[in-house]
Amino acid sequence: MSYRLARGVRLQNDADGAPVLLIPEGIVTLNVSAAATLELLDGTRDAGTIAELLAKRFEAEPAELTGDVRTLLDDFVERGFVTT
Amino acid sequence: MTPPNPRSLLCELTYRCNLQCPYCYNPLDLGNPRDDLDVATWLRVLDEAAQLGILQIGFSGGEPTLRRADLVRLVERATAHGAYTNLITQGTFLDAGYLDELLAAGLAHVQISIQAPERVSAFAIAGTDVHERKLQALRLVATRDVALTLNCVLHRLNHDALPEVIAFAEREGIRKLELANVQFYGWAYKNRGALIPTREQVERSATIVSAARERLRGKMEIVYVLPDYFEEYPKPCMHGWAQVALTVTPDGRILPCPAAAAIATLAFPTVRDGSLADAWRDSHAFQAYRGTDWMPDPCRSCDRRERDFGGCRCQAFLLAGDAGATDPACSKSPHHDLVVALRDGGPAPEALPVPRRFTASA
Repeated sequence: MSYRLARGVRLQNDADGAPVLLIPEGIVTLNVSAAATLELLDGTRDAGTIAELLAKRFEAEPAELTGDVRTLLDDFVERGFVTT
Repeated sequence: MTPPNPRSLLCELTYRCNLQCPYCYNPLDLGNPRDDLDVATWLRVLDEAAQLGILQIGFSGGEPTLRRADLVRLVERATAHGAYTNLITQGTFLDAGYLDELLAAGLAHVQISIQAPERVSAFAIAGTDVHERKLQALRLVATRDVALTLNCVLHRLNHDALPEVIAFAEREGIRKLELANVQFYGWAYKNRGALIPTREQVERSATIVSAARERLRGKMEIVYVLPDYFEEYPKPCMHGWAQVALTVTPDGRILPCPAAAAIATLAFPTVRDGSLADAWRDSHAFQAYRGTDWMPDPCRSCDRRERDFGGCRCQAFLLAGDAGATDPACSKSPHHDLVVALRDGGPAPEALPVPRRFTASA
């Protein structure tokens, strides 16, 4: 299952350089790991691939990250920010 | 104390509208469209918003698409500043060519309102026969890469059609449905006797909405807020006075909330006299009810004061005649009987709402 940002959802930085998700009439502040995950959504990558890329970037074991990536993406799908 | 910068700006481009909905929150005195700010001034306002770090821009009215070419330029400018743009429209002027111009300019989100789930009732509420045009606009927007919200304001005249509104949204494949209980400002305040739902309607709707949310989980998000007249505590209006958002009216007044022009005791700054930043930081009107220092009792000693911020200043002014009073919607307010009387005053089935319109002087 691959993921992408939902229609009308934009990932960018605010005036202070902090990552935010802009959604219809709303702003969701993101922590660094959530932002790094969302940056990797391109409509083709699944949670495992995203975890591998994050593991390289943060020098961690992919297996340690996969669960967190799934939890985050499930949550964002539920909230309508991400679609599969 | 310097307040945090605002996060969002609502631009009311004009109060002109081809609909006459009696629940409109726009002021009774719609002014004169000749006083609408020109596009150069609006562009400057957007530049000032960017300097304040504002990331959410709403274009509303009246009907903002009546400023057809101007709106495209404004969306383009806001987008160039990195802001997210929302169009709040009734949709009757959204043809494919125009929509695509707006999207090319960067428009991110379209909210289209309907008055009822079918043509005859919608005609009766809007005062004009445009339901089919709205339907076409909805279907058009759904084919494009942009967020779409369907909005329906609920009041006594259409509350009973709530299941049909939800079915309509489902049929049209809507992902986000906003069911907004009427709030009593402007024309809606004038028409409150005809528009306030009955307790039975409100209770039935809550049940219908929670069942629909369950059934449509993952397919459609339903936003539904109980009308504050039926709750124990007031709504946390605007997350507090002059805390996160500002509004600029068609003639350039800068307000802490879209309904604030009703507060006759405050003089609001205008974009003609100074910048958004000046208004936000230094104007008397924005500082008047910011924070908690202004609060009277029962708010001052209430442990909810940082949660609902004393409720709505506009409602306090409209009902109690004092913008610095506790919101009468609060059960602790000394003026709560005013809300109770309106809420439990019994149905007034003969009361016909007055359609929104410009006065003869306009």
